[in-house]
Amino acid sequence: MPLSAIKTVSKAQNGVGAFILPLRRLDLHYCDWAGSSRGMNAYLRNHLSRFASSNPQIEIRVSPKPHRHPVIIGHYINSRRRAICVKNLQVEGVREKVEYLRNHTGEKNRKIGWDKVRSLNESVRGVWSPFHGARIRI
Amino acid sequence: MKRIRIARCGTQLLAPPSPRRPLCPHVVRFQKTITLHNYRIQSRLQSTAAAREASNFEIESIVEEVESSANDFPSSTWTSPRHTPLELLPSPHPSAALKSAKLAALRSRLSLPPRFPLQTLARTLIHPSADPDPTFNNGSLSILGANLLGYYTTEHILCNYPRLPMSVVFAAQWAYIGPKALATVASEWGIEAAAEPGGEIDPGLLQFKRLRSGDDLPTLLKGKQAPWKWNVTMTNKILKSDEFGSTASRPDAQQLQGMPVPIEEAAQSFVRALIGSLYLHLGRPLTKRFFRDHFLSRHLDMDKLFDFRTPTRDLSRLCAREGFEAPVARLISETGRHSNHPVFIVGVYSGKDKLGEGAGSSLNEARIRAAAAALKAWYLYKPLEVTVPSSTEGEVDTSKWKPNMVDCGEVIV
Repeated sequence: MPLSAIKTVSKAQNGVGAFILPLRRLDLHYCDWAGSSRGMNAYLRNHLSRFASSNPQIEIRVSPKPHRHPVIIGHYINSRRRAICVKNLQVEGVREKVEYLRNHTGEKNRKIGWDKVRSLNESVRGVWSPFHGARIRI
Repeated sequence: MKRIRIARCGTQLLAPPSPRRPLCPHVVRFQKTITLHNYRIQSRLQSTAAAREASNFEIESIVEEVESSANDFPSSTWTSPRHTPLELLPSPHPSAALKSAKLAALRSRLSLPPRFPLQTLARTLIHPSADPDPTFNNGSLSILGANLLGYYTTEHILCNYPRLPMSVVFAAQWAYIGPKALATVASEWGIEAAAEPGGEIDPGLLQFKRLRSGDDLPTLLKGKQAPWKWNVTMTNKILKSDEFGSTASRPDAQQLQGMPVPIEEAAQSFVRALIGSLYLHLGRPLTKRFFRDHFLSRHLDMDKLFDFRTPTRDLSRLCAREGFEAPVARLISETGRHSNHPVFIVGVYSGKDKLGEGAGSSLNEARIRAAAAALKAWYLYKPLEVTVPSSTEGEVDTSKWKPNMVDCGEVIV
């Protein structure tokens, strides 16, 4: 065999062709009695339907959780989940948290250190070579 | 590599005009004794498209025999689906698809138009191992989808890279639409699997009979491996095998009925079935756009697929075949010859033309890299303007068609 081929799998580039929102499911838990979920209840009553209709790609579940603080849990495509407790928050605060979960990738929080660019092709110009390109004359 | 007749594939999958009569002849034979099975079929039949001829080629004669008995079957035993316990159904009832939040979310996540029915989307999620009934599982749709995926990917690769060696073509196919790639695509679409298939669970979950951990794969999925001393030639792979050039052929979907399968197998069949159902419901242009957005947009480095054994010999054979002067390697520049990290830049020249260039820590390494670069430059030639054959399908005006380049093939050493 003069030439053989290496088997690989093509890599996804989300957003190059189609864009898939990483947030897959949103669970909202509330309590009817406790005061800590007053803002959450107001959000569910007045704002959630608008959010749901503008984001049809997210599956939304609302369920009571009596005598507990209200929680929003986002389930992501990469099979991770992210939970935020929204106790004692006003409507605006709950709305911000929902938007935060919607816009998140679901990745773990990572410290951005030395390599700030993460890409399939990190440098547009390729690896620098001392033997090529125009000569610099001083 | 396989030739398919798409139009024929499509008509087989369309719904029969009057689905009053039970479709499976074996059901008709037994229906006088087992009424439960029969009314299940009749009541569930009113939903999604049915595969009348997809699995029944060889038993058409039996159908004619039993037709009379099917017609005089008393309709009084037919009961409403409301009274059927959901647990008795092998897969969710199609009417449940309209209430599933998961399915609606999946449809808009994939940016499918609302005219694509949720019932069909639910059907694509049912693997034959969960529901053996060919009118309710995705077996027939996934056959059509596999052929379409193979067709579109093959034409894309062959038209854009006309000089690719055959083994690289197979590897590129595998990278775009191979089993692993399709399973990855399904997980990136956010498909969740049901723990156990059944009529009572959410139709937005992937339904299949799970292979228990530690159990062996079914023999059908393992495939037949050729004995090691058989020399499986490239010609044999092109003519006899599937689009990936693998010696093991993909099992027929209906053969996997009731057999426990790994989740990858079920996820692949879902992706294929989705392509097939898109083709039937939305037509060719939207299917091609979906394919372009979700499959061709994936990143694949074609030049990373090559694995040369003797690039210098291949290159000299190539030059001899094409009538170029014999390739000569010349040192372009070097640094640190006597140090720990020498770098040599070697170019391969044919006469005055530089064919390729490579850097290495020894002269020989740099020469071999240069030869490999020259070969890749030849094989990865890409025409500027390409019209794929499927772009002219169904069009009367053929003036847009430009013939594609066909190369004489790779170097044979």
